[in-house]
Amino acid sequence: MNLKSTVHWLTQTPLSQTIQTTSWAIPGIQVVHIICLAALFAFALNLSLRVAGRGLAVESLASLAGRLVPAIWICVGILFLSGSLLIIAEPFRTITNPVFYLKMGLLIVAIVLTLRLDHVARRASETPSRAHTAVAILSMLVWAGIIVAGRFIAYLY
Amino acid sequence: MAIAEKWFPLVESAHVIALATVAGSIFMVDSRLLGVASEKLPFTYVSDRLLPWTWGAFGGAALTGTLMFMGNATTYYSNTPFRIKMLLLVLAGLNMLVFQLVTFRGVAKWNSDRPPAPARAAGFISIALWCGVIAFGRWIGFTM
Repeated sequence: MNLKSTVHWLTQTPLSQTIQTTSWAIPGIQVVHIICLAALFAFALNLSLRVAGRGLAVESLASLAGRLVPAIWICVGILFLSGSLLIIAEPFRTITNPVFYLKMGLLIVAIVLTLRLDHVARRASETPSRAHTAVAILSMLVWAGIIVAGRFIAYLY
Repeated sequence: MAIAEKWFPLVESAHVIALATVAGSIFMVDSRLLGVASEKLPFTYVSDRLLPWTWGAFGGAALTGTLMFMGNATTYYSNTPFRIKMLLLVLAGLNMLVFQLVTFRGVAKWNSDRPPAPARAAGFISIALWCGVIAFGRWIGFTM
């Protein structure tokens, strides 16, 4: 079973057919996906700012990360679910598309960096080191890269 | 100064990054206004730290949006989802204005507590309107 036959098989499944033929489904799922990525981006931004000693600085890094990181994971979960539905509905846009795999690679990097920031935050050193700030900045660039790759799926499939 | 076709995907991607920052930061401020997040922080502290990001990113969203619009102005102008999106933006602005000029005047009384009903209403309306902006913005792409 290769990628092309996977695409063909997926397109024929009842779930895929249902989403494809419900006019508002794909736009609706995409809107959920975008709203969720906006929330995630703001949570990640505030986590990164706090690691760099800025943003909501009056709250301890450990406390703020304790709120923001779980929220980020919830967003990742919703994005994963909505993304999966989009893949099932139109597998030809993603499964045979290198840009999609680039996006997934960047996502793995973003998750690793977020785990790293969470670990740093829980050891609760209040003075940000340069290395930690660099990780924080890098994570924002990677989240932004995921957004760009996501948009480019539509242009390069 | 319309952008060439080949730049559209990049300008559009920048638009999404900007809108994520606008909507995401607004969601966070509104959550505080609703009293469901960051309750231990004073409201003005949260809004002071987050709203500069909102406004800065809104500038970027407006710039990238204008660039995209100018590449196909007459078609966007008569596009129904586009018009509704612009209307929702105006309504979101009005909601912010009313909050700023009326409700916010008494902020000292509720800054460290759960905000009063008009403030919570403003937060809820704001979230609803900005979700609408995102929804109709996405819909434009399906109707061009």
